[in-house]
Amino acid sequence: MSNATPSSATMSGPLLRVADIHTYYGDSYVLQGVSLTLQKGQIAAILGRNGMGKTTLIRSVAGLTPPRAGEITYRDMSLRGKPPYVIAQAGISIVPQGRRIFRSLSVRENLLLPTSVLARSSQARNGGEPGQRWDFDEVLKEFPQLAERVNHSGGSLSGGEQQMLAIGRALMANPKLILMDEPSEGLSPRLVLRVQEIMRRLRARGHAILLVEQNLELALSVADEVYVLSAGQFVFQGTPADLANATQVLDQHLGVSGARMV
Amino acid sequence: MKVRSYGVVMALIAIAAALAAPLVADPFWMTLITQIYIYGLLALSVDLLLGHAGLYSLCQASFFAVAAYTTAILQVRYGYPTIVAAPAGLIAGTLLAVLYGSAVRTRGVYFILITIALGYIIWGAVYRWASFTGGDNGITNVPPPSVAGFSIASQTAYYYFVLTVVILCAFGYRILIRSPFGLSLRGIKGSESRMQSLGYRTTMHLYAAFVISGLIASLAGVLYVYYNRFINPVAASFQISVEVSLMAIVGGSGTIVGPFIGAGVFLGLRNWVSSFFELHTAVMGAVFIATVLWAPSGIVGLVERWRPGIGKPKDQP
Repeated sequence: MSNATPSSATMSGPLLRVADIHTYYGDSYVLQGVSLTLQKGQIAAILGRNGMGKTTLIRSVAGLTPPRAGEITYRDMSLRGKPPYVIAQAGISIVPQGRRIFRSLSVRENLLLPTSVLARSSQARNGGEPGQRWDFDEVLKEFPQLAERVNHSGGSLSGGEQQMLAIGRALMANPKLILMDEPSEGLSPRLVLRVQEIMRRLRARGHAILLVEQNLELALSVADEVYVLSAGQFVFQGTPADLANATQVLDQHLGVSGARMV
Repeated sequence: MKVRSYGVVMALIAIAAALAAPLVADPFWMTLITQIYIYGLLALSVDLLLGHAGLYSLCQASFFAVAAYTTAILQVRYGYPTIVAAPAGLIAGTLLAVLYGSAVRTRGVYFILITIALGYIIWGAVYRWASFTGGDNGITNVPPPSVAGFSIASQTAYYYFVLTVVILCAFGYRILIRSPFGLSLRGIKGSESRMQSLGYRTTMHLYAAFVISGLIASLAGVLYVYYNRFINPVAASFQISVEVSLMAIVGGSGTIVGPFIGAGVFLGLRNWVSSFFELHTAVMGAVFIATVLWAPSGIVGLVERWRPGIGKPKDQP
C-alpha cells in the first residue's frame, strides 16, 4: 500500500481527549468528572488503589461502560453513543485485566480473531503506516514463546504467556491506541520487566498507550504523563519525576512512603 | 495430521456403514435409523447455537413444525407437487427464524424464556387452528415425495435420500464452523464483550447463526413429514425442543457427530426401554443426569478421552 499516507498528519487535536466524564457502574457513581489528553505515541499511566475507578475509565473509553455525561474524542471523532465494536474498528484495542484471552480457542485463533473479515473492513486490515504494521508473523517474532504453541489452547498457557497473547491479540488489530488494564498483575518481576520493555517498543513504533497500573515503578518507568485517581477524581497530574517528589500524594493516595522513591 | 486422518477414517467408516445398513437391517431398524438421521439433523441445528454460539434455544421444534406443516398442507390440501411444497416448507420455517431471530437481543435466562414462549405460540397455533392445521389430528396422508415423475416411495429409497441430505448438511456445517464465522461464534461463546472489543458486531453474528439454525431445523422438518407421512402438534411441542437439546448434549455438544450419536442413544433407548418399562422417560432423564455428572462433553468426549495414542482434543479446532 504505497498510498498509505499517515492520516495523523491531518489531525489537529490530540489522539484521545477525555473531557469531564461521569460514569456510573449500576447505581454507584464511579468516575466523577475525569479529564485527560493523550498524544500519538505517548504513554499515560493511571495510578490508584483498587476500587478508585481505573478499570471503569478503560471501560468508558472502550464503550463497554459509556459515560453518562462528558465527552470522549478520538482522532476528532466523538465516541458518544458508539458501540464497542465501532470503537474497536476505529483503532482502539484493549488488553483486559486478568489476561482475558479465549481459553478454549487456540493461540492462532486468538491472534487471528481481530484480523477476520468479519471484524475489520479490508481497508482497515490493509491500511496503517509502514513500519508500524503488525501481522501474525510479526507478532510471533515479538513473542517467540507463543510461536512454539500456536496450536495449543489459550487456557493451557502459563500466566505470562497468556499476558503476551493478550497483548499480541491487541496488536493484531494494528491499533493507534492500546488500553492496558493492569498488565503486570500477577506476573513475576522478570515478566514485569518484559512488559515494560514491550511497552517502550510499542511507543517507539507509534502506538499510544493508556495504562492502568497498581505497579508504581512500572508506571513511572514507562509513562510520559501520570495521573492519580482517587474516589473517581484525579488528585494528581504530572510527569513521573513530579510524582516521585509528591510525597503527600504517594502517601495518601497510593500508600507508598515517599522516602522509598528517592 | 494424525488427528486429522483419524477423523477422516472414522467418517468414512460411518458413511460406509450407513450405506450398507439397508442390506442387513429389517424394516423396523430402517425406520429407526431414518428417524435417527432426521432427529440428529434437528439436534445439529440446536447445537449450532448451543455448542458454538453458547445460546440455549428452546424453540427449535417451531421451525421444524412450521416447515413440516407447510409442506404437508400444500401437498395434501392444495395438491401442490413436491417441487413446490418442499422448498415452500423450507422457506416458511426459515422465515419464521428470521422473525424469531430478534430473540438474540436478549441473553442468558431471558433468551431461554423468550424462546420457550415463542415455541408455545407455534404449538398453540397448530393445535388450536384446527380448520387449517387439522388440530389434534394433524394432517394425514402426505404422499411420498415425487419429483419429475420419480417417486421416492420405497423405504430404502427414502433412507438413501435422507442419508444423502444429512451427509451434504454435515459437510456444509463443517465448512461453516471452520470458517471465520464459526470462529466468531466460538469467540462469542467464550466472551461476547471481548469479541465486541475486538471489532465484532456480535448481535448480528448471533442473529445469522439463529437463522441458519432455523434453516437446518426446517430441512429436518421437511424430511420428517415425508418420512412420517403425517404431522400433528406434537412436532411443535416444547418436549421435542427439549429432547433434541438433550440429544446434542448427551452425544457431544460442539461436534458434528455428537448430535447424531445422541439421537441414536435417545431413540434407541426409548424404543428398547418402552417395550418393557412404562416409565421410559424417567430412564431418559437418568441418562441425561449421568451425562452431565460423568461425561460433560458427551459420548464423543468419552471416546476422545479413551482414544489411544494422540490426545489433546482441546487443541483441535
